[in-house]
Amino acid sequence: MSDSPNHSLQAERKKAIREGLLAVRPALVATFTWGLVTGVAMVKSGLTENAAIAMTLLVYAGTAQLTSLPLIASGAPLWLIFAAGLIVNLRFLIFSAALQPYFRDLPWFKRLAYGYFTTDMSFVLFMPRFGDATPKGTPYQRWFFLSTIAPGWLTWQSSSMLGIMLGTLVPTSWALDFAAVLALMAITIPLANSRPMLVAMLAAGVTAWVAQPLPLRLGLLAAVVVGIVAGIWAEKSYKKARR
Amino acid sequence: MPIELLQPDEWYVLGAIALLVVCTFLTRASYHLFGHRIPLGEGVRRALRYAPAAALTAIIVPALLPWSTQGFTATIDEKIVAALVAIWIFKRTRNNLAMIVGGMAVFWVMRAIFG
Repeated sequence: MSDSPNHSLQAERKKAIREGLLAVRPALVATFTWGLVTGVAMVKSGLTENAAIAMTLLVYAGTAQLTSLPLIASGAPLWLIFAAGLIVNLRFLIFSAALQPYFRDLPWFKRLAYGYFTTDMSFVLFMPRFGDATPKGTPYQRWFFLSTIAPGWLTWQSSSMLGIMLGTLVPTSWALDFAAVLALMAITIPLANSRPMLVAMLAAGVTAWVAQPLPLRLGLLAAVVVGIVAGIWAEKSYKKARR
Repeated sequence: MPIELLQPDEWYVLGAIALLVVCTFLTRASYHLFGHRIPLGEGVRRALRYAPAAALTAIIVPALLPWSTQGFTATIDEKIVAALVAIWIFKRTRNNLAMIVGGMAVFWVMRAIFG
């Protein structure tokens, strides 16, 4: 009985879930704090409680949420909010390209769901384990993935709700909308991990500062273009200098 | 508040949320849905590497150093000082939470003294 295929499949599933849960557990503290900060930031940047709840439940993307807050507060046009949301989430496009082989034989709605619930953490935990795996897309791999994204979702959503509740209790005079800027900085500073990246960020920062009087916060787009060009230019000139 | 149709700015916020949901799907599920029919060449990848950091920096800088009403001079206030201290805290501790809490603390103290 114990060697029936059904039984071994169950045992394998159990093992995959266990491995996934153990892997994601240490990361949940960070997820929790981050959700809490984002929850507070949303209501303190002027969203109503309902709007903040809708945003966390539907958007489920902390960086894009935090990025959109100052834009919404200053009444930037919707297309610019959309563009900014896309740009700060571009890393997920790379993740999606890398994860796609593991889910390609599933029906489209399952692929859509696996994509939607992908987090930085799930990607970082998955790829070192299964990046070179053959075949790609085994039930074991998908069960592992699922058991890293499910606790992440639960932790993020419950801490965001807690943050939204706390945010409504704290008076506006505490200026906690500044905490949203600090949270964005905490996301951004670790990105400056190479000299070309630092050049790109400096160029983007200067452009964004000079371009402030542009209407509709178009300085944001200008800064992105200048940042990309500066980054690629710096990459090339550092390579040349090393030769 | 009486129950009424959504205010214009509520439609605006709702629209922003809807578009951000589209962003989430487009970035996280495009390849899951359409496979590798979307080309992702080395040049594009390289450009994509710099775009998010540039956009985030461009959001942060005007929030910290807004132009003064006379134009082309920065308003130096407690925000930029608190931000610089927060960066220093992050370099020392590598801890997000310490950075946010420390930055807020400096902000509050400075505002209490000068504000």
